[in-house]
Amino acid sequence: MKQIARITVLAVGLMLGMASAMAAPQTYKLRVDGLSCPFCAYGIEKKLGAVSGVEHVAVDIASGTVTVTMADGAVLDEAVARKAVKDAGFSLRGLQPAAAAPQEAGQAK
Amino acid sequence: MKAALKSGLAVLGLSAATAWGAPITFNTALPVHEGGWVLREQFVFMKVADDPTPARRDMRVSGLISVLGYGVTRDFALFGMLPWFDKRVDMRMGGQDLTRRESGAGDLTVLGRYTAYQYDAPGRTLRIAPFLGVKAPTGEDDARDRLGRLPPPVQAGSGSWDVLGGAVLTWQTLDFELDSQVSYKANREARGFEAGNVAALDASLQYRLWPRSLGAGVPAFLYGVLEANLVHAARDRVGGADDPNSGGTTLFLTPGLQYVTRKWIVEAGVQLPVIQHLHGAALGTDYVLTAGFRINF
Repeated sequence: MKQIARITVLAVGLMLGMASAMAAPQTYKLRVDGLSCPFCAYGIEKKLGAVSGVEHVAVDIASGTVTVTMADGAVLDEAVARKAVKDAGFSLRGLQPAAAAPQEAGQAK
Repeated sequence: MKAALKSGLAVLGLSAATAWGAPITFNTALPVHEGGWVLREQFVFMKVADDPTPARRDMRVSGLISVLGYGVTRDFALFGMLPWFDKRVDMRMGGQDLTRRESGAGDLTVLGRYTAYQYDAPGRTLRIAPFLGVKAPTGEDDARDRLGRLPPPVQAGSGSWDVLGGAVLTWQTLDFELDSQVSYKANREARGFEAGNVAALDASLQYRLWPRSLGAGVPAFLYGVLEANLVHAARDRVGGADDPNSGGTTLFLTPGLQYVTRKWIVEAGVQLPVIQHLHGAALGTDYVLTAGFRINF
């Protein structure tokens, strides 16, 4: 009986964990070339923040990366991201899905 | 008086027409993002003196220069610059001390800048951008006092439509920024006076003093700034003849500081003439103080 109860608790826990993981917002890490001063970083936050489905943009100037957090169920299209980065005056080197949403300073949409 | 004033204002005029990036006294090629606005306000105080003649002319110019920039496209930005001046010249004439003074809005300059070349790499960028502009005679150029019409350098406006152009190169890294600009301003005649054309070669180094090592996010930067402006002004023409007491060449050095954040910059510098070769009895610049801010929106 005890064993059945333990398995049930484990199964419920696992399901809750999976549901939580599935509901986590998708984040992307963008490598941006040409990003080298704080005053210029504002433009990229503004342009990416205006993309449909983007919830949060966090720039890390030292590594030249921008972490974009999407709303639930939204995805970031690479061509759209490339255009936003270009309109801000920079060049997108690459885009990769990341695991979790960051808690860095940045612009919330 | 004319040569030094023209040199100083030429440098400041071009700087004021450029609201982006980092140099204090001139242009950079850094971006104004598409659809973005930049506002720059710059307070300037200039002292022009050392008159070798018995008139002992001493001129002081205070100015507030407002610049609004807009990113039309990723590569093309438009800038409008409107100065407000308070110009005062003290002199001795006929055994009496005289003061002549004029305050008011100056001439509006509209300038377009196109980024013709761009190379981006991680943490660095190289940009080259030509620019072309026109100065409209929006300022008063026929102000008078009890002695009659004020001389052209004391007027708030020139009365002429002038054209300016040039190119700027910017190399920016996370540690420093280097800018170099060449420019030329062709002045035209108004009311019998034509200010000499002005050619300038400028360079600026901004070095990150703080923070020494970069943390996460977008930290604010404190830059130490050193700029050089080599300005050559041709002789003015009055009534169709060259004015022998105008024009010349000045080399300014400008040490300064800038505090740069994501949305605003505050900056200050003092422009000092280290070499002045002026024609005739033209006055030399003592110094130019500049302080201001820029905001992104």
